[in-house]
Amino acid sequence: MTEVRDPASFKKYISPLKPIWCPGCGDYAVLTSLAKAFAELNLPTDSTAVITGIGCSSRLPGYLNTYGFNSIHGRAIPIATGLKVSRPDVNVIVAGGDGDMFAIGGGHMAHVVRRNVDMTLLVMDNNIYGLTKGQASPTTPLGTKTLTSAYGSISTPINTLRVMLGYNCSFIAQASSTDPVHMTKMIVEAIKHPGFSYVNLLSPCVTYRGKEQYQMIKEGSIYLEAGYDPSDGIAAWKLLNANDGKYPMGVIYKDTRPAYGTKVDELRNAATTGKEFKIEDEVKLFQP
Amino acid sequence: MNTKDIVIGMVGSGGDGIVAASDILATTAASEGLHCMQFKSFGPQIRGGESSGIIRIADHPVYSQGEKLDVLMAFNWVDYQKFPGELNCKSETVVVTDEIGFPDVLPLNDGVKPAEIFKIPFEALVKESGNPKAKNIIALGLLSEIFNLPKDGLKKSIQRKFGKKKAEILEGNLKAIDIGINYAVSNKLKSKLQFAFTPSKPHCVANGNDAIAYGALVAGCRFFASYPITPASEIMEWMGKELPKFGGTMVQAEDEISAVCMVTGASFGGVKAMTATSGPGVSLKVEAIGLGTIAELPYVVVNVQRGGPATGIPTKSEQADLMQAVYAMHGDAPHAVMAPADVEDCFEVGIRAFNTAETYQMPVIILSDQFIGHRKETVSCFDAHKIPIVSRKTPKDPRQGEYKRFALTDNGVSPMSYPGIKGGEYTCSGIEHNEAGYPVSTHGEHEKMSEKRARKLDVLARDYKFIRRYGVAKPDVGILAWGSTKGAVREAVELGNSQGLKLAALVPQLIYPLQVKEVEEFIKSCKKLMIVEMSYSGQFKNYLGGFCRLPENIIHLKSSGGRQFETGEILNMIKGNL
Repeated sequence: MTEVRDPASFKKYISPLKPIWCPGCGDYAVLTSLAKAFAELNLPTDSTAVITGIGCSSRLPGYLNTYGFNSIHGRAIPIATGLKVSRPDVNVIVAGGDGDMFAIGGGHMAHVVRRNVDMTLLVMDNNIYGLTKGQASPTTPLGTKTLTSAYGSISTPINTLRVMLGYNCSFIAQASSTDPVHMTKMIVEAIKHPGFSYVNLLSPCVTYRGKEQYQMIKEGSIYLEAGYDPSDGIAAWKLLNANDGKYPMGVIYKDTRPAYGTKVDELRNAATTGKEFKIEDEVKLFQP
Repeated sequence: MNTKDIVIGMVGSGGDGIVAASDILATTAASEGLHCMQFKSFGPQIRGGESSGIIRIADHPVYSQGEKLDVLMAFNWVDYQKFPGELNCKSETVVVTDEIGFPDVLPLNDGVKPAEIFKIPFEALVKESGNPKAKNIIALGLLSEIFNLPKDGLKKSIQRKFGKKKAEILEGNLKAIDIGINYAVSNKLKSKLQFAFTPSKPHCVANGNDAIAYGALVAGCRFFASYPITPASEIMEWMGKELPKFGGTMVQAEDEISAVCMVTGASFGGVKAMTATSGPGVSLKVEAIGLGTIAELPYVVVNVQRGGPATGIPTKSEQADLMQAVYAMHGDAPHAVMAPADVEDCFEVGIRAFNTAETYQMPVIILSDQFIGHRKETVSCFDAHKIPIVSRKTPKDPRQGEYKRFALTDNGVSPMSYPGIKGGEYTCSGIEHNEAGYPVSTHGEHEKMSEKRARKLDVLARDYKFIRRYGVAKPDVGILAWGSTKGAVREAVELGNSQGLKLAALVPQLIYPLQVKEVEEFIKSCKKLMIVEMSYSGQFKNYLGGFCRLPENIIHLKSSGGRQFETGEILNMIKGNL
């Protein structure tokens, strides 16, 4: 049981800056859920950093009182990797939209998973490019008319959960803005996971995808039952291969391989073999 | 004839051990307290194929690869012809070669006939050694006797190189060198050309890439991320080996963009960080470097230049990434560009680049090139304590809600917080921001912040003390050059002045921001100005022209990369223009 905290304690994580998000945007729920997750884990603001790229969702760090970095499009993952690897004491959260993470920044995904860097990725998936005002994204459903798909999108959307399972991501979960309590729980689980954790957050864009997105998600949500074993990779594949238009909610997959930081420590031990090195002695490498 | 300055070229097939032999010669020169510059050239094959090495050894400091070869050691002539323009002989050149495959007419450049030829029965000597791989070591023994190279030094180098291997390998190589020496002695092979040297205190020997890496380590770099690329990969390999010994980390990134972004993240985290690449990699990193300028993050990007554009000539030098280094970013993106001019300089620039980045909170690009990066050179031993180390200014007891990460200051530098500093929480951003770091989009705020960031460059150009000047105070011809062309330029100035000319040269280390005052004073001091650069389009001249008033009749020695300037060619051009 976690300690019962002052229900308002999450507010200390929220900055005075007013979000630019549209009224009804799913990202508000993500902001609050994330702050509540921080509060539940009692993370200090000065040793927590939220790293984002570009997009509606990437405005997130400005609305938080932790350290933050609103960087460039698609590059939140390598920036966060550099931070976490060089500063393992910092709690690192990476956040971004479906375009930021699975289009322009998609190339980094396989590698951050491969390294298993101990940080949490929150993808605020709204199936559209919102900040640029309504172009098709990698998760826009087939046939959807957008500014850049006037006759309906003709590219199959990415099933991001299946992609991440394929990459062998060590923690995969899904939650949605329709259920902020569950979302907080998933974020807490993800942050606690020692390794790279990915939470897909279905976060409706009421402006470019319509209010119906909320209804659609609500109706399609299937909460994973107590009997579901997330350590069972085959069960996870089965679940994600169902292709029935439903949204599995909960921890879909989880394994316990060592995180990158552990490997880095081992590597350093192998390099030093217990010896202490002096910078000035490195000159010996250049002596004939 | 005795000489204190000898240029030896070697060429052979893969497996002949050309590279190993020339490495052993370089170590020998260093251990005997001589000076050397050594470089290698390969065919396009990954392994095997032809390879060549040139080494210049002298009893005085050498700044360039030297003129044409004094000695050519050619294992075979088919391979020799695969390096046109690289192994240039003259009528004084002495050739040592295999008696097998000796052609009727030697295919030397310009139809040159060598002064002496020594034909060696390598097959028989290799057989005698019992080691088919010993050809190169036998050759070193021969060369040492024929030209009076330091024999004891050679044996010591071989001991060092093979000492850690099995005893029979070391013994085999020591036997091989004696076979070479003894053959030359018993057949009275002695060239008219004799190397005259006095051994003295040993030097260090390094290539430019390793020297930059060590400089960075000394400067406090503890995070390094890169993607493999010729001719820069050695920096990454060195860091991967050495950083973990000092609690640091090298990450092999998935691409060039992620490499610079990882470095960005480490810098945001308060850790000194570096990435290294070549021109194609910088092309990919440019957006992130722009982020570094507006987010005011200190880190270092090394570009070991190669022939470009696109794939260009990956294994050879060029100085044509200058405009890219200065102007590639979109927007007004204040950063610094620094250029080492030789191997020893690589170590110092490695440190100064970090000091500059940390002082002014901006990315610094080090523009090295393949010629410096890959060549081996004797250097005075690197002193880790010579240059004081600078770290970024941090806020004192900041308070959340009050701390202004981008506070406007006289010199444009604002105390920088990072995770772990309580009360210093802020959002770092590539979006234009106000002093507190919150997003803004008005002209007024953008103007203020652009001005703040640009101010740092004014202070840097004013305060950067190091600039190289050679030669006389009031020259008839003054040369402006940068980076690796310094070597031949400096030698031309010294040689020309010894012949009664009045020459000088100015070689800035800080390329951007340009130290306009110093450059203009130099231009004014010259009767005639010469610019030397390895860029077909003349990027350096165009760049200088953007900041300084250049005279009308400039002597402009420029050519595309892939070949180094020779001292003689610079002097000839000067003499033709006097």
